[in-house]
Order: sequence, then C-alpha cells, then structure tokens
Amino acid sequence: MEMTAFKERLFKAGSKAGFEEMELYYVNGEKFSTKVYENEVDSYTVANDGGLSFRGLIDGQMGYAYTEKIDETSIDLLVQEAKENLGILDTEDREDLFEGSSSYPQLDLYAEKLEQITPQEKIAFLKKLEKACKDQSEKVSSVNYCMLQSFASEKRIANSKGLDVQNKGNAVYVFVSVVVKEKEDIKSAQTLKVSRDFSKFDAGKIAEEVVAEALSYLGAEPVKSGQYPVILKNKAAASLFQTFVGSFSAENIQKGKSRLAGKIGEKVAGENITVIDNPHDEKRFSSRSFDSEGVPTKPLNVIENGVLQTFLHNRKTAKKDGVSPTGHASKASYKGTIGISPSNMTIKAGKKSYDDLISESQEAVVITDLQGLHSGANPISGDFSLAAHGYLVKAGKIVRPVNQITVAGNFFTLLQQVEEVGNDLEIELPSGGSIGSPSLKVANLSIGGK
Amino acid sequence: MLAQSVIENIIDAALSTGGDFAEVFAEDKVNSSIVLIGGKVERSISGKDFGIGVRIFKGTNSVYAYTNDHTEDRLIAMAKKASQALSGEGRTEAVKLQTEKVNTIHPVTFAPLDVAKSKKVAVMRDIYQVAKNYDQLISQVTIGYNDVDQNVLIANSEGRLVEDRRIRTRLSAQTVASNGEEMQTGSYSPGAHKGFELMEDLDLSYYGSEAARIAVTMLKADECPSGQFPVIIDNDFGGVIFHEACGHGLEATSVAKGNSVFAGRLGERVAPDIVTYIDDGTLPNEWGSQNIDDEGEKTRKNVLIENGILKGYLIDKLGGRRMGMPSTGSSRRESYKFAPTSRMTNTFIAPGISTPEEIIANTEFGIYAKYMGGGSVNPATADYNFAVNEGYIVRNGKIAEPVRGATLIGNGAKTLQKVDMVGNNLGHGQGMCGSVSGSIPANVGQPMIRVSEITVGGRRQA
Repeated sequence: MEMTAFKERLFKAGSKAGFEEMELYYVNGEKFSTKVYENEVDSYTVANDGGLSFRGLIDGQMGYAYTEKIDETSIDLLVQEAKENLGILDTEDREDLFEGSSSYPQLDLYAEKLEQITPQEKIAFLKKLEKACKDQSEKVSSVNYCMLQSFASEKRIANSKGLDVQNKGNAVYVFVSVVVKEKEDIKSAQTLKVSRDFSKFDAGKIAEEVVAEALSYLGAEPVKSGQYPVILKNKAAASLFQTFVGSFSAENIQKGKSRLAGKIGEKVAGENITVIDNPHDEKRFSSRSFDSEGVPTKPLNVIENGVLQTFLHNRKTAKKDGVSPTGHASKASYKGTIGISPSNMTIKAGKKSYDDLISESQEAVVITDLQGLHSGANPISGDFSLAAHGYLVKAGKIVRPVNQITVAGNFFTLLQQVEEVGNDLEIELPSGGSIGSPSLKVANLSIGGK
Repeated sequence: MLAQSVIENIIDAALSTGGDFAEVFAEDKVNSSIVLIGGKVERSISGKDFGIGVRIFKGTNSVYAYTNDHTEDRLIAMAKKASQALSGEGRTEAVKLQTEKVNTIHPVTFAPLDVAKSKKVAVMRDIYQVAKNYDQLISQVTIGYNDVDQNVLIANSEGRLVEDRRIRTRLSAQTVASNGEEMQTGSYSPGAHKGFELMEDLDLSYYGSEAARIAVTMLKADECPSGQFPVIIDNDFGGVIFHEACGHGLEATSVAKGNSVFAGRLGERVAPDIVTYIDDGTLPNEWGSQNIDDEGEKTRKNVLIENGILKGYLIDKLGGRRMGMPSTGSSRRESYKFAPTSRMTNTFIAPGISTPEEIIANTEFGIYAKYMGGGSVNPATADYNFAVNEGYIVRNGKIAEPVRGATLIGNGAKTLQKVDMVGNNLGHGQGMCGSVSGSIPANVGQPMIRVSEITVGGRRQA
C-alpha cells in the first residue's frame, strides 16, 4: 500500500479517536543471506519485509502500536491498541512530537553498485573463501560457518507536526568460522567483515587471518589463578566496552541504573581515555543523519581526556534534564518504543601498536576474546567475570596460548587504570561497526585458571 | 490465515524447478509488553507480527524466502524466485492438502486479548510492592509483563496442512540494591504456555521477594574466590548449564555436520550412570511446550542420555536428511523470519536419589550456586561459561557466606563426566534460547546436582 495515502487514513482514524499528535514510523527492506558448506550452498534466504509503528499523544502521554500487516484492516488495531497502551501509562513525564529541523546532515549510506552484485557472485566468493581457509592448513577440520548477508533498507518518519524525513542504507557482511584440530585438541576462530564495497573483500586475506588465529590457540592451557597485567586486544576491549555503553544513556541515569549519575565534569577515566560518538562517519554502519525521533545527529565527545562531558539524550530525557537532545533517540525496530543508543561510539586510538604493547610487557595475559558478556557482566554495577582466552606473554614475547580462564574486574575501575591505549582501533568487530576500541593494557586484573 | 488454494499454488510454484519438498509457514502473532519502573507504568506497546515463509529442499540443499506481503501473486512470485536458486526438472503433479486436526495438550483459560491491560498492570503493581518493600536497600524495581498469542499454519508438499495456537505469558521482576556506593541486581522471570491464569497460579509474593532478596544478599556478599572447586548447582534454572553444555551439542544443527563432540557416538557412554537427560515438548503448559513443532510434527518426549548412555539427538527434517534419521518433533523458529532447525523445548536432567541436604552435607569445601544466570557455549569445542547470580561457599558440609561475581567455565563433555551426585528435587526454569533459528522460549531443568570439579572465576584469590 502506498505510504502517504495510508498515513492520511491512519491519522484521520487517529484524530477521530482523540489523538492530538500522531506519527508514523515505517521501515522496509530487502535481505539476502547464504551459507556455503563443503562447497555446496547450505542455506539460501531471500526476504522482503518491513513494518510500521504508530504513536500518538493524548494529554501528553504517548501510546504505541505496530503492525507487519500493512493494509486497511490494520488501521483500527493500531489506533485502538495505541489508545489502550496510552491509557495505562502513569508516568509524570509529558511528551510531544518533534516538528522537524530546517537542516539535516547529508550522508551517503547507500551504494548503488552493491545492489548489482548477483547471488551467484556472492556464492562464488563464499566457495572461494571456504577453500582458501582449508588450503591454509591441513589442521583445518571444518569451516563451520561461511556466510554472507546483504541488506538494503529504507526508513521514513512522518508526523502530524510536519516532520517528514527518510533515509536509505545498504551493506554486506561476511562471517567465517574455522575449526582446527590437532590430535584431540579442537580450537576455533571467527571473523566478521562488513562493507558497502564488495570488491574490498579479499578471500585469501580473510582466510589467512582467521586460520592463523585458530591455529595460534592449539595447545592452549590455563594459567595459574592470580593477578596479572592484561592486554585486552581490540576486539575483546570493544566487546567489553559495548556491554557498558548503556551507562552513558540519560534514561538509565534518570532511572537510577547507571553509576555515572551526577558525574558530568568529573574524572571517570584515565587521562588517556577519550570516547567519541560519531554518527557522520560514512564508512561505518550505525551512521545516521537523524535519530528515531527525527532529530538531526552530530558528533559528540562523551569523555574527553578522562572527564565525562555529556550523557546521550533523546527529547524526553533532555527535557527532563533541561538540556538539548543529542540525537540519540533509538528504536530497536518498529516494534520498539523510543529509547537511547549510541551511534558509532569508540575509544579514541592511542600511539602504540598491539605488538609494542606485547614487547614492552615483562609478563602479561593477552585476552583476544571474551565470552558470556550477556550474563557474566553486570551492566549497572560494572562488575564482570568472564570466560576468556588468549596468550601468555613473558619477557616481551608470546610464549603460548591460554584458554579455560576467567577474567574478573570492574569496568569503571578499569577505565581509571588503563596504562596504554593501542593504535589499532577497528570498527568491524564485535557488532558490525557500531562500538569500537583499540587494544588496552591494564595493570592488574584477576585471572581464574588452574 | 491463507486460503488452501493459495497455499497449494505457492507449493506448486516452489516445486517448479526441481525441489523435492516445499513448505509454507504462515504466522499471525499479537505481542504485548508492559514495563513498570519505580512504580509507574513507563512503557506499553503492542502489535501484530505477520508474515509468510516458504522453504524448498532439494536433497540437502535448502532455500528459504519470507515476506509480509500476503497477496497471492506476490507470494507465488516469491516462491518462484526462491525456486530459481535450485535447478532441475519441475514437479508436474499438483499438491492436494489434507487438514490435520491438532488436539491441544496445553489448554489456555484467559487469552491475552480478552484481558484488559489494566488487570495486567494491577498484578505488576502487586509484585512491585513486594519487591520494593522487601528491604530499604532496594533502590529500583522494574517489572515486565509480556504475552504472545501466536497462530501458525504449516503446510507442505507431502499434503500436510496443520495449525496451532501458542499462548505464552511471562512476568519478570528485576531489582537493584544499592548502599550508595555499589549496586547489585536480582531477577526472577516465571513464564508458561498459559494466558492470564498464570498470574493466579503464581505465588507473586514469593517471586517478588526472591528477586529482591538476591540483590540484597549479593550487595552484602564478598567477592568469589577463583580456582577449581566442587560445585553444587541447585535445581530449576540451574539446568541452564547442561542446556548450553550438552543440549546444544545434541541438536542436529551441530551433529549432522560432525561439529559436535556427541556426533557419531550413539550407544556410547558419555556420562556417569546417574545422569539421564530428556527433552520433552509435551509437558502440559510448560514454557517450552507446544502441540506441534514448526514443521507440523507432534512434539514428543525424547530421551537423549539414559543412565549415562547416549540414546538420541534432537532432529528436524533437514538435519534428518543429512543424518539419515527421522525427525524428533524438534524443529523450531523464532518467527517466519527464520527457517526452522533442531532446537530444545523443555530439557532437563531426570531426578536422582540424593536429597539436597545430603549433597550439601557431603561437601567439605565448594561453591553452592543457588541461582544461575545465563551463559553460552562454543558448539565446536563445547567450552562453556556461566554466571552465578547467587552463590555461597560450602564449608564442612554447611552452606556458609554468600559470594558474588562467580563465573563457571569448562568443557561440556568433560563436566558431564564429573557429575557425582544427582538430587531428587527436579524443577524447571524459564529462559530464552538463542541459536540459528532465532530466540525461542525454552525450559531448562534439573534437580540439585554436584560436579566434582569446575573452574570458578572470581575476583579474589582462594
């Protein structure tokens, strides 16, 4: 159904039901994903899907409802459900809708050329990648995931106060996981690549990198339990950082769910830590010119040389704190209500390479991967105790791989105790280009092992 | 949801290029979720998920396509487009569907849409009051209420046409305890394949005060020591450890390709004889139960490990083709947006003979994990990790001081070998299980068990 016509009918039904302000949020996309296993297409999925959500105000309270069935029959459901949802709210916060801005940053997040790549080319690439992984070493026993996903999506937000913005984006992801075996010892490694330029993917290079990593873990053993200097490699540091980014959300601050409450202007990290949120970097994949309320976005220093500068706001939290919104309103999808999330949030790179961090360490544990972040880390308190693996460093050299260890600490304490910040900021892992960190060296963390 | 003739036309289109099996999955689902924070209803959203998925097999090759567009010509065009990923001779014989009747074994009294949202909110306020008033240290309480009314239609080229309705309701209580310097959290989230009647069956004051008690206890707890110790894991949600460490390794998803330590080992001993491990999708009204799986097969009770011997796997149609074995009614998916694959329903360790008191009394020094948090496993290596939400030291056969921040890590196959006591108090806990076919409701369960040695990670030296 044509969206503008649908909107008019929906808003007409809405105002009849008593809604004073109304908004339509519409997402539509095409997806393709495929997996190759043993030189055969193991799965192949094509999709065209989307949905829309309606929200509206009565007496300053916002009611929400959504549907994936986009036709006439859904109009009554949307209006009635939104009204019933609004009827049970008893928050004191009053909301209104945004009338739009006179200027929005122009971002190019859609590559026409990417849409020309055929499924056959994508499958051929995966077959080449799988073979390249196997050719790296006889110890590769299986390439248990060799998959590609591409998507293109468009989003439109239009409301009864004049806001009408839309954007379009696309990207392609490649994920590969290899299993290596030596006698009874089995290890694995994974990597994720994301781009808007398919020709940037180099099967040989990806295979070399992921197989080398898996092989480097063969023969791993725990270290003795104790306190160790720890080098969190970029990917591991980024995944830890990602677990705690909710602490910067003004919503969590206002609800008593963040330890950073009341700390603006205070030192919350070492002087070597600067945290930047940049929604305008066209090379990244959480870039956006407007947020989920239609507010224009802008780059922001969240922590500058250790000093907390700002929280991330949507219109509701900004109003409550008497500040300007920062363009961080977010919806998980059309199925969500407005929350807050960062765009591309990274810890700024330092000067030393990952190799320097190793060669300058007398003894250290390098952590390349952390597991169980959703359960072993408390996003509110900052405490974490996580399964990990990596390497043992002695006299400036990696001497052996380490596994079956846990690493425990507190993220907020850790931010104060970073000794060195690496120069190896990568944007692809862990989540496809949203949260990033260079490698971080920390003086002391608790390792549980033998 | 879709007319029979439309479905037949879709299946015929799907088999026009050489596929040997085609399936249509249509879903119409109403979701509602309400969040109460600090005593105020902050969020309430509801809506309809709706879409259609078409899957085609040729041997062990499979193609999946889905859309929200339910017009006949668009669905047929999608089936044709998907079929072009396969090549060969098209099938000329048209499919004739036969409706199969499903007798529900999970009856529901009050469907979500028949209950006013204000009644749901009243229950949320009751449990909020219990948790908030438990202790002065409780600084924040969040109560969530979610219900789902999912209608599915499954049809395939073998002539099957079957429908099922799955109603699930879940209440969650999350607490924060704070002493001004530190914060600790607690939570409890009971759920079932039931409607609003779940709220009448639940002891709200028990769940509310447990959620608060965990946060307060952990706020006062010392850091957990690190090292290798005997670990006693209590019943109910404690079963999450075997869900991750063994359950996932028994799914065709990893067994069929040999990417599991349990592959090719049917009939072999994989655990001590006190361990029997079962997956049962027929337990009446349990969180992970349903009448049929997402390929339309009746769910059933599958004995996976019996007295330590590996007896079976969890198998879906495609996995079964790869393994040369029949489906076990274990095919599940989050929604039409996922092709289904072999998954768990309600998986648990069968009760043994020891009383919980005996198990504690027989442990000189160890960790008692009263409530487990979540965790994950690498299916290729079976290495797992779990958080302990509420833990204690066991000293001289008695439960001693509480400890916080414990993580259990190990290897699933090896940990299974080290189970040395199994209690007689089987209980089930509710969780959301994530895997290749999305996030689905699943029960985990067990009686209290003891493992002779697990690596425990904490922030204190032993």
